[in-house]
Amino acid sequence: MRIPPALRSYTRGQDEVVLEASDLNAVLRALESSFPGIRDRVVDEAGTRRPYVNVFVNEELVMTPLGEVALMPGDVVHILPSVAGG
Amino acid sequence: MAGPYVPGATVYHFILDPRDGRTAYAAAPHGSEPWGPAVYRGRAGESLKATAHAPKFKDGSGLAVTRVWHLEPGPADEPETIYAGVEPAALFRSEDRGETWGDIDALNYHPTRKDWQPGFGGLCLHSVLVDPRKPRHLLAGISSVGTFESKDGGRTWTTENRGVRAEFMPNKYPEWGQCVHKLAWDGSGDGSIFQQNHCGTYHRGPDGGAWTEVTKGLPSDFGFPIAADPNRKHTAFVTPLIGGENRVFPKGQMAVWKTANAGKSWRRETKGLPANAFMGVLREGMSTDPEDPIGIYVGTNTGQLFASRDEGESWKMIANFLAPILSVNAGVAK
Repeated sequence: MRIPPALRSYTRGQDEVVLEASDLNAVLRALESSFPGIRDRVVDEAGTRRPYVNVFVNEELVMTPLGEVALMPGDVVHILPSVAGG
Repeated sequence: MAGPYVPGATVYHFILDPRDGRTAYAAAPHGSEPWGPAVYRGRAGESLKATAHAPKFKDGSGLAVTRVWHLEPGPADEPETIYAGVEPAALFRSEDRGETWGDIDALNYHPTRKDWQPGFGGLCLHSVLVDPRKPRHLLAGISSVGTFESKDGGRTWTTENRGVRAEFMPNKYPEWGQCVHKLAWDGSGDGSIFQQNHCGTYHRGPDGGAWTEVTKGLPSDFGFPIAADPNRKHTAFVTPLIGGENRVFPKGQMAVWKTANAGKSWRRETKGLPANAFMGVLREGMSTDPEDPIGIYVGTNTGQLFASRDEGESWKMIANFLAPILSVNAGVAK
């Protein structure tokens, strides 16, 4: 998983972490167990993805609920903020 | 001038903890807007860091915190306790200086909650008062919902809006639904409270009960902050704006209005404040320091900060060309 600069305070500066998980929700849970607090930056406590946070698997933007996105070994998950402004 | 201490973020509230004079807290989004709400903490005068967790509703509540609007230090003998008022309206308490938070269930899931409706400013809990004499005595103000009071540390809450107008409701004096804008302890130290509301300015005496409207003598019944002199009883300052539809100073003259008798009369202070000033002051935009005589500080939504060293009689601009000022907090750093 690639970690954006704004969240590297949680990962002690790491820009990439390797996780084992079968879907995107499981990825976030695994991430949270290693880096407490980071999951809240991506989804709120109701489990909804924050409006201007995008999740990509490889280079594909995820448009469906995170739990519905299955992962394969070697997939790269990116978390990126939407472009701010216009 | 020093800072910024949370660069780039929209800081809704910034406080110096008066219990130690060293710790600063800020309520702001994490990093920038997309990453959700956060509470920052650090040593005053240094960059602040986000705490491990922001306030969160319970799993299964269906609610999610979108902003932290207000941070209030807990009692003097609980130096690690801090309260957070958030949007959608709720109150949280941390007992470890903001690292983790607990949900104040009796208020956050109050039986009236299902009917709470946001006003133009959102459904935000923005005022928290902790009684310095009785730490279990709390008040909370929620825009377009009203004032709530607890005398048992937050286990039970009562609506405290008697005497407060709600001009936008069919019943002008409902039990709740009033649009409180800010609450402040009266410096009398006896539990009396000032309130600035969307519909008037109010004072409530030491025994609680109904509020007394004290808008008479002010140029309008609309404004956001109200700040009290902590050393003088019945003394407070407000910054009335034209009204909800035109949130600028009347006649373009910035003015701070002062009462020294719990709102029975008001005095308009403009010396050193600008004319042709079509701007306003936001909810957390005014603060008094604890010195005697006090200093008073007012920040505008066009980025000027004004200070008075003579209890409001004259003013001097002490900073300009800031971003819109959302929060002013005065204290004595140690």
